[in-house]
Amino acid sequence: MKKILQIAWREFVATVSTKAFIIGLLFMPALILVGIAVGPRLFNQRSFRVQGEVAIVDPTGLVIPELRTTLENRRTVARRLEEARDTLAQAPGSMREIAASQIAQAPAPDLRLVERPPDADVQQEKKWLITDQKDEKDAKRLALVVIHPDAVSRAEGKPAYGSYDIYVPPNLDDRADNEIQQSLRDAIINARVSARALDRDTINAIVRLPRMQSVTVSKDTERRTVGGFNVLLPIAFSVLLFLGVMTGGMSLVTSTVEEKSSRVIEVLLSAVSPMELMAGKLLGQLAVSMLTMGLYVAMGVAALASFALFGLLNPWLILYLLIFFLLTYLVFGSLLMAIGSAVNEMREAQSLMMPIIMLLIIPYMLGFPISRDPNSTFSTVISFVPPINGFAMLLRMASSAPPPWWQVWLSIGIGVASVCAAVWFTAKVFRIGLLMYGKAPDFATLIRWARAA
Amino acid sequence: MWYNGRTLMNDAILLKGVNKTFGPTPAVTDLDLAVPGGALYGFIGPNGAGKTTTIRMIMSIIFPDSGAISILGRPSALDAKDRIGYLPEERGVYRKMKVGAFLTYMARLKGVSDANLGKRIRDSLERVDLGATESKKCEELSKGMLQKVQLLAAIVHEPDLLILDEPFSGLDPVSAKLLRDLVLAEHRRGATILFSTHVMPHAEEICQSVVMIHQGRKVLDEPLSAIRSRYDPRAIQFEPLDPKADVSSLKALPGIVGVARIETGYEIRLADGTDPAAAMRSITMAVAPARIELSRPRLEDVFIRIVSGGAATAETEEHLRANLQIGAKVATV
Repeated sequence: MKKILQIAWREFVATVSTKAFIIGLLFMPALILVGIAVGPRLFNQRSFRVQGEVAIVDPTGLVIPELRTTLENRRTVARRLEEARDTLAQAPGSMREIAASQIAQAPAPDLRLVERPPDADVQQEKKWLITDQKDEKDAKRLALVVIHPDAVSRAEGKPAYGSYDIYVPPNLDDRADNEIQQSLRDAIINARVSARALDRDTINAIVRLPRMQSVTVSKDTERRTVGGFNVLLPIAFSVLLFLGVMTGGMSLVTSTVEEKSSRVIEVLLSAVSPMELMAGKLLGQLAVSMLTMGLYVAMGVAALASFALFGLLNPWLILYLLIFFLLTYLVFGSLLMAIGSAVNEMREAQSLMMPIIMLLIIPYMLGFPISRDPNSTFSTVISFVPPINGFAMLLRMASSAPPPWWQVWLSIGIGVASVCAAVWFTAKVFRIGLLMYGKAPDFATLIRWARAA
Repeated sequence: MWYNGRTLMNDAILLKGVNKTFGPTPAVTDLDLAVPGGALYGFIGPNGAGKTTTIRMIMSIIFPDSGAISILGRPSALDAKDRIGYLPEERGVYRKMKVGAFLTYMARLKGVSDANLGKRIRDSLERVDLGATESKKCEELSKGMLQKVQLLAAIVHEPDLLILDEPFSGLDPVSAKLLRDLVLAEHRRGATILFSTHVMPHAEEICQSVVMIHQGRKVLDEPLSAIRSRYDPRAIQFEPLDPKADVSSLKALPGIVGVARIETGYEIRLADGTDPAAAMRSITMAVAPARIELSRPRLEDVFIRIVSGGAATAETEEHLRANLQIGAKVATV
């Protein structure tokens, strides 16, 4: 045991003291921080201003005046803020403030209407859209709008109002398209309301009913429901599991290949048995993965705590994350190590690793159907299929409808059995592969080794 | 106890009827070997003879198909790993690890829990003129320096049995001598040593006994002194003081059957039963000598004689010699 710990300690120190590891470890949190800090600036809506000309053919003669009114900056900004506040009412307090301050500063669109005769030929007008503009300073042509004659007053015998057609040049930004259509919608509705001699404000007041914040009631406490948490939590858990397994698994491959290619392996085998070496390496990289995951979990918990949302997370889930991580890591880690022991260099390992990495990616493709319908037959079956049962079961447990306990423990049992199988296979391949140089083996060779050893 | 009446306690290494095949190729066939405690054994044979396979079986890194192995009185080297030092032919280091840390790691894996380990390692590095490298990374060292570090790693735990697979391959003469001195020092300390080489002069220089294998089979296993007397060429090498001296008269001397010119003088063959000392006296009386000495059997010649059954054609002999000389040039220049 002492020797196994010695090997594990060396493996741990050798991995975590490399620059690559430290950079890799900090990369993810750094990316998230940068995303939070810089993202809003990079993808800032404020920087985009809808600006240009919109040609309009209005046979009713009622829409254009309303559109002019609608386009007045003040009203546009007011409308945007109103929408934003409705959306924001569901967000946590601190986020609400940040977002509200940004929305308030959004620039109003600058749209100039080009009135075309009511009987203009639409085909001719379309050419206006795609004619090259000589002077760059000329306003950009954004759209041609043709209002239907019955857009404001219903045609006789028809149950519905008419609408409008909109033609745009290639590569028009969808935000401009959106802005124009929003303004048109407002203008046409206003025109219809005016035509019926109704008051728009009254109608607005009647139809306005903002979505309310639901309150989650639990035994001890009541709190406002946080939308999206039930979706995000399973994703976060499977990402953590993937990261943990990949961190350890990849290091196991590289360190084993390195020991083989630097010919240090036989020196080691004079001091320890292949089983001790294997156990030590698995343990050492397990510690590396735990460090990585521990850091991310701690950051996640700290983030939840800072938004006073920690109560949303069932602490037992972290324990099960740990159990399923251990099982999944041991299966994938030992299989990857078997590959590392069989090849001569990393390039040869790539092709053998491919199917194993694919297995790790499958849970992501199945993630959505499982977390949406965690107790379907499909989800249930997948959560018993090794080696991805850990992913599937965690997704189900973190979802809004956790599975019964017997299923969880059955999945854990299957996990333990698959660990035994994977470790057995690796031990066999490891013993033969470590001293085998020359032609890179394929999977069939590995299986033959496992049988022969 | 189970091998020709020898007790397990006497022999550091005991192999009985060991066989190993890789696929259809036999690597070692029916090999018996007994290395007594405290001996310095050479394990010789050309490349591909099965030396490394045998050593790996001794180390329990691979296992024989059949036969029994006993190491330091245990049924497997796995039970005695901490008492064995091993320098494999395929040897390496952790390139990014510091020399001192590497030696400490190897010592710990060998079960050394000495509080003074750091000092011991520093001292041993000093002894091989590598005192300044303790905090250098292994990748910064030259090949010769690394070989020394690797040997130190094999002996850092003061093993009872030291197994060296081609320890001198690829070394310059100065490093080879330093390594040889280290090996001899270990032997004086009391360690049993088995070292393999395909460069026979290396074995002749330091071994007490040699085991020779060819195509997986043992062809010779005797003390060097016994080999020398058994394969005594019964010849005297003679170099006259005056290179132009007439040596034809030597043929007439009693007990001398022939005189042949060789590169460094003459080889004078003696008749069976002739006392070499008396023959040498009469030769020096007849022609003044610059140098006169008894021809000694060379392991290389012995090997060729055994393998070819004494009837090697010039072509097979040349082939066998070439096989034995690969790598020897670097080591013996």
